[in-house]
Amino acid sequence: MYKTAMLTKDLVAASSKPLLLSILAGGESYGYEIIQKVRELSGGQIEWSDGMLYPVLHRLERDGLIESEWKEADTGRERKYYFISSDGRRALKTERRQWLAVHNSLCKLWKIKPVSI
Amino acid sequence: MAGRSQLPVQIMENQTRFDLNAAVENWRNELAAQPNLASDDRRELETHLRDAIAGFQQRGLNDEESFWLARRRVGQPQQLGEEFVKANPTAVWRERVFWMAAGTLGFGFLYFILAYTNETLLYFFSGYRLYETTLLWISMAQILAVAAFLATGWFARQSPTLRWFFQTRLRLMVMLVLVAAFQSVIQTEVAALGDIDGIYSNWPFSAWTNFLSNAHWFFPLLVLLVWLMPAQNQKTPKRA
Repeated sequence: MYKTAMLTKDLVAASSKPLLLSILAGGESYGYEIIQKVRELSGGQIEWSDGMLYPVLHRLERDGLIESEWKEADTGRERKYYFISSDGRRALKTERRQWLAVHNSLCKLWKIKPVSI
Repeated sequence: MAGRSQLPVQIMENQTRFDLNAAVENWRNELAAQPNLASDDRRELETHLRDAIAGFQQRGLNDEESFWLARRRVGQPQQLGEEFVKANPTAVWRERVFWMAAGTLGFGFLYFILAYTNETLLYFFSGYRLYETTLLWISMAQILAVAAFLATGWFARQSPTLRWFFQTRLRLMVMLVLVAAFQSVIQTEVAALGDIDGIYSNWPFSAWTNFLSNAHWFFPLLVLLVWLMPAQNQKTPKRA
């Protein structure tokens, strides 16, 4: 196996929005769980700094793409859960088209089979 | 700062036994010293820290290792403050103004209660009326004492109970209006005691007019408080 490099800072910042919206489109979640999920999905290549996730979440919330609520978890502790809004779902569709457009262009250049949009 | 004064004690304890709760408490104090973090942000970061600690513990690390790794993961408090304020520059000020308005209203109510109680008790026990200025100074001293008491952390320990009032805007509004109405009724009753001209005889209408005539400072504060109420307890979001 060749060594895979971690994502650059710019790419981490740009990809955080589609990643967060996609995760929340699959159901409500909270900060710690989201971080774990991203780490798992990327096989450790996307390493988000835990504390930095919240400013991103709060920005999405202010833009109306997600909403939040304090709820009691099974453990009895309260956690702030995030949900995707209908505006968020629309934004996710746009994000998806744009990212796949970039992805497919690169695929053609690198002669890898592109995915259907 | 309470957190800083605990530190030497904690370091000495570390050599024998690691107190996870004390460590989290210290961390929380450090976070609270960050002017850019709103209380809701701090609460959220704390749940994250606790989740991370539990995650490391599940993987077999001991309390101390789990705490330090989780702490590292969450990030430096100062850096966190800078990032959070970038994401939402007005949030901190909304909260500050909210507590200033709450303080003003609380001060007004406390002063009212104390001034009337002092005057009544003094008059009842000694039959003696003090000058208004003297009463004012006594009341102020009592308010200072209450403030000092609150600063000892009593208020913070009561927060789960008190939080109930801040859960919805309606609850906050109803509570404030009830407090103001109570104040108005007492004020009118007291005024009616020394009423020779019969101005106050048409109670409860007199209480109502008295309330309205004092409302010029109450209503702006009420609007400000309800509008700026910390966003932590928003309505249940509509699930898309």
